Amino acid sequence: MLRYAIRRLLISIPTLLAISFIVFALLDLAPSDPTANLPLTIPPEVREKIRLSLGLGEPFPIRYLKWLQQFLINEPLAVFEQLTGLSIGDSENRLRVLSWATRSPVTDLIVERMPQTLWVVGMSYVVAVLIAVPIGVISAYRQYSIFDQVGTLISMLGFSIPTFFTGLLLIVIFSVWLGWLPSIYDTTHVVNDWESFLFQVRQMIMPTMVLALANASQISRFMRASMLDNLNQDYVRTARAKGVRERTVVLLHVLRNSLIPVVTVIALGVPTIFGGAIVTEQIFRVNGIGALLITGIESNDIPLVQTLTFIFAILIVLFNLIADLLYGVLDPRIRYE
Amino acid sequence: MPLDAGKTDTLVSVRGLSMHFPIYAGVFRRQVGVIKAVDEVSFDIARGETLGVVGESGCGKSTTGRATIRLYKPTAGSVVIDGKDIALLEGGELRRLRPQMQMIFQDPQASLNPRMTVGSIIAEPLDEHRPDLKRAERQDRVRDLLDRVGMNPDFANRYPHEFSGGQRQRIGIARALALEPKFIVCDEPIAALDVSIQAQVVNLLEDLQDQLGLTYMFISHDLSMVRHIADRVAVMYLGRIVELAHRDILYEAPKHPYTKALLSAVPTVEKRAQERIILKGDVPSPANPPSGCVFRTRCPVAEARCAAEIPALRKLSDGRQAACHFAE
Amino acid sequence: MTNKRRFLAAASALAMLAGPAVAERGADGELKIIYWQAPSTMNPFLSGGTKEVEAASMVIEPLARYSNTGDIVPALAAEIPTVENGGVSEDLKSITWKLKTDVMWSDGTPFTAEDAIFTWKYCTDPNGGCAQTTYFEGVSAMEAIDAHTLKISFTEPKPFPYTALVGSESPIIQAKQFADCMGAKAPECTEQNFNPIGTGPFKVVEFRANDVITLEANPHYRDPAKPAFAKVTFKGGGDAESAARSVLQTGEFDYAWNLQISPEVLTEMESAGKGKVVVAFATSVERIHVNFTNPDSALGPDDRSVFKADGSNPHPILSDIRVRKALSKAIDPVVLTEIGYGKTGKPTCNVLPGPDIYASTANEACKTQNLDEAKALLDEAGWVPGSDGVRVKDGRRLSFLYQTSTNAVRQEFQAIIKEWWSQIGVETELRNISASVFFGGDPNSPDTFQKFYADLEMYTNNFSGVDPEAYMANWLCDKAPTPATQWQGENINRYCNPEYDALAAEFAKTAGLEARAEIAKKMNDILMQDYVMFPLVHRGGTSAHANSLEGVLINDWDSELWNIADWRRAK
Ligand SMILES: Nc1ncnc2c1ncn2[C@@H]1O[C@H](COP(=O)(O)OP(=O)(O)OP(=O)(O)O)[C@@H](O)[C@H]1O
Ligand SMILES: [Mg+2]
Repeated sequence: MLRYAIRRLLISIPTLLAISFIVFALLDLAPSDPTANLPLTIPPEVREKIRLSLGLGEPFPIRYLKWLQQFLINEPLAVFEQLTGLSIGDSENRLRVLSWATRSPVTDLIVERMPQTLWVVGMSYVVAVLIAVPIGVISAYRQYSIFDQVGTLISMLGFSIPTFFTGLLLIVIFSVWLGWLPSIYDTTHVVNDWESFLFQVRQMIMPTMVLALANASQISRFMRASMLDNLNQDYVRTARAKGVRERTVVLLHVLRNSLIPVVTVIALGVPTIFGGAIVTEQIFRVNGIGALLITGIESNDIPLVQTLTFIFAILIVLFNLIADLLYGVLDPRIRYE
Repeated sequence: MPLDAGKTDTLVSVRGLSMHFPIYAGVFRRQVGVIKAVDEVSFDIARGETLGVVGESGCGKSTTGRATIRLYKPTAGSVVIDGKDIALLEGGELRRLRPQMQMIFQDPQASLNPRMTVGSIIAEPLDEHRPDLKRAERQDRVRDLLDRVGMNPDFANRYPHEFSGGQRQRIGIARALALEPKFIVCDEPIAALDVSIQAQVVNLLEDLQDQLGLTYMFISHDLSMVRHIADRVAVMYLGRIVELAHRDILYEAPKHPYTKALLSAVPTVEKRAQERIILKGDVPSPANPPSGCVFRTRCPVAEARCAAEIPALRKLSDGRQAACHFAE
Repeated sequence: MTNKRRFLAAASALAMLAGPAVAERGADGELKIIYWQAPSTMNPFLSGGTKEVEAASMVIEPLARYSNTGDIVPALAAEIPTVENGGVSEDLKSITWKLKTDVMWSDGTPFTAEDAIFTWKYCTDPNGGCAQTTYFEGVSAMEAIDAHTLKISFTEPKPFPYTALVGSESPIIQAKQFADCMGAKAPECTEQNFNPIGTGPFKVVEFRANDVITLEANPHYRDPAKPAFAKVTFKGGGDAESAARSVLQTGEFDYAWNLQISPEVLTEMESAGKGKVVVAFATSVERIHVNFTNPDSALGPDDRSVFKADGSNPHPILSDIRVRKALSKAIDPVVLTEIGYGKTGKPTCNVLPGPDIYASTANEACKTQNLDEAKALLDEAGWVPGSDGVRVKDGRRLSFLYQTSTNAVRQEFQAIIKEWWSQIGVETELRNISASVFFGGDPNSPDTFQKFYADLEMYTNNFSGVDPEAYMANWLCDKAPTPATQWQGENINRYCNPEYDALAAEFAKTAGLEARAEIAKKMNDILMQDYVMFPLVHRGGTSAHANSLEGVLINDWDSELWNIADWRRAK
């Protein structure tokens, strides 16, 4: 298994390099001007100078190789130094991937935004899984019951109603009418006591629930389908014939087998947590990775968008591998040599 | 020879057993009808006897078997096993009776939980019903069972997918035997196996029957295999038993037109010359069976009466039972 | 009123606004501001975007700034230099600023003229990519006469010398902090760019790019009683509508900026009674530009919409003033304003609508629509109605391509105006182009507003600061965009009028506000009476503040937060 993992990792290196080139080239060649969003009052000569100062004067291959070196070597080193406080080599003059709009290293921006994204989007994923699995199990076990029908309806709604609508609805109800929950997320809030923890919970409720609803409807559908597949298997009858308690039959035999594909789906969804939730983050101003990406796109901040896109690509490749390995761990029928 | 009444020692007695599955349709998945998978079936099985059940695919054999050991809750009828009616039992009461009746499935792969080792599959019923056993005793019992079905006891730690089809079926049998049942429903236990292995498994089942005094309900497509293993044979058509007789007289001289057609398809040495009876039409849907005699739509001797009157499964002079107005 | 008196009046007005001096620094707790477009840096020299400039204006200050009435008021300067007070030399080639002597940076070190000189060098370094270099145009030298006297010399006489280091787009940064950030190093100084040390009422505690800025009262601010707020949370992100909601409906925030949303929605939100909408007018005018050259698609790239100095490529129809006037007469700016902007806009007949002294009153007739007059003008010009109602002349249909950027209000305007024009027998083809392309400035795109491959186009333009000299110079003959200039150039109309060019030259030499205003008005009137463009709406900057927030003087000439030191909580 370890050998398999290592081999897969090695294979993914050329894949990722190819992706990095495509990402860089696509974004670089797309017509976009970092000064396009400046007020019309700034004259073209000044714009040209700004462009040059951003390194746009150099030819494409050089810029690509520079970026690759900065991304693969300088940035990890810089993050390592920040974490450990050590300094390796000439860290003063090491060029980092700078965002055009903020002139700040892209990784710093990402690191700054990780906490709120992980809190809100990550928590919503956890909540989604926690509600989706039981709902999926019960819906399948009581197929076509009222519970199942209502569950189907809700997940259809959750799946098809866009988050900007549910988000707005929640804000109007809970912030405007009732005034119970803040409509704007405070990213600077620090949790250090019970009070502040409660505030954190209150400000997380709406964005988390909006996202959880969307995610849960998907996962619960998977769970239900997978349970239904397994419930009609002979081994379930075997278990019943053995005189095992019904709870054990469902939870131990059926659920454990049904979870295999669901766990894979969940693992494959994890990169989207890091990708943030563009719409929901905008609505509640969580200003996480998703919001970072969208401001990057809006302000033609190419290095930021390139780096984020490439990180997502890495995460997707990584979690594909993790999902495969998990499958191997969970399902004894699958062995990786 | 009076077949069921004569042997006073009846283990299984089924009366008027029906199993109807609901049909759901539409946006709201409302129930719109039922599939009469098994309809008004009655039979007895004596202790130590093997009852063969044959019939076309979809005629309700498996459903009958499952309902008999209460893997389904029957829609109607009674199932008395060893003097106790289990048709309406639920929960713990039913679970306590589980050890005496077991089932062996057609697909040995599907019937074994892929995420459990062979050892834990066999040991699970012991955990459930024999809390008195110590861990070591339980392990001994698992090894003993594996040994009994002709498998290496050291295989207990392996997963089902690591075995061949025949081995898996042996595991399935070992599992069924774990609680020392009296009655085992074998639902096409050899259908998924190679011909060469079929004989081994059947021999194993026969040996176990001799050693442990088991009672079998043996469901099969394979009419010659049933002839070999069964004492009596029930022929099913569209959820009903159409003929139930001692295997010798059944195979010798079938009385029900459906049995005749079924057996004519089996090439035997003696009756090679006999013409094969080809039935016209398809099996009707169990959701909407024909009125009167369910076989009348395909019956070569059907008359107007057959559409109006359901033929009872009545005893004929030679002791067999047949559900045909014209059987004598 | 003389210059000097204007300034004095403004200063005293400010003093009155400062309110009772009972306040104590930090007494009013936290102020929460929301800018739905979040600042990406605190260094306005590296961004140029309004949001960054305004956020920075709480921290770093210029020598002087523009008040809400468009007047110049001192910030770090002790007074405004003029020719009369001797601050501006007679030959208009230098200006000497006296700086306040008691100003400290937020790190406790004194502010001196050296900081101002450093700022000039910092922004004019050719490798720095400074976005505000125009403010330093024409500056030949800066010298410190003494620690608190700064002399700025110009290469040529500068009748309006209040550009360098004036206004929130040209503030002074600390020399000590940015010493290592010159030229190519400028973008790498993330720490400095995010946390500039300033002289303003607040200092940065934490800056999170594109998210939130936390600030606290500057302990060294020169007025010991100010600011009233101890802390500012400056949140960004989301959209204008929810920003408005957070002030007007939920009351979570005290101040929301740039609420470009439909007037009805704003009014509806305001009715919740938690806050009020405030509008400030500066120079933004939504207008329709007339193309004076021939945009015929049959022409090659060197001719299509290209201005020829010999006048050989005129617009076949629009070069007739009667047609231009007819089109203008058929438009009702009052109705358009009402529909598109509500109270966040005013109908206008000037391309130069402010400051007040520059606003002409000669063209008010444009506010009344007159379809009959329009028809008569077209008749007179020889355009006669054809069988389908569209006028024709010499076999040519009176038909125009009218383009603008994609935007709901603009498309509504297009539809309404098309209808009006159809009533006078003019056929209009409408086109809208994605804003990023239209304003993107890509010389290879046929769809930019500079290329003007259409007969008419509509957008908003303005100028920053209060002096219109550069802006009015947009319509000089030689500023027409052409292939030779990579389609750069501000004379979008390709208008060419020697009389106008002469006025512009005179403007560049004239000192004194009154005299300058006279010329500016004349230039505006030429453009209006020649129907070079049809102004429609004078657009305001719309913001909202909580009812409990006092001291807000909305300002579209400078940062809206220009007087944040005076903001306070209602008692
Ligand atoms: N759980 C169920 N729900 C609905 N219908 C069912 C269900 N199980 C069986 N049926 C239907 O009942 C009828 C009898 O099925 P059953 O499996 O008992 O037939 P069978 O004789 O065992 O066939 P085979 O020889 O193919 O195994 C079929 O029409 C089948 O479609
Ligand atoms: Mg079957």
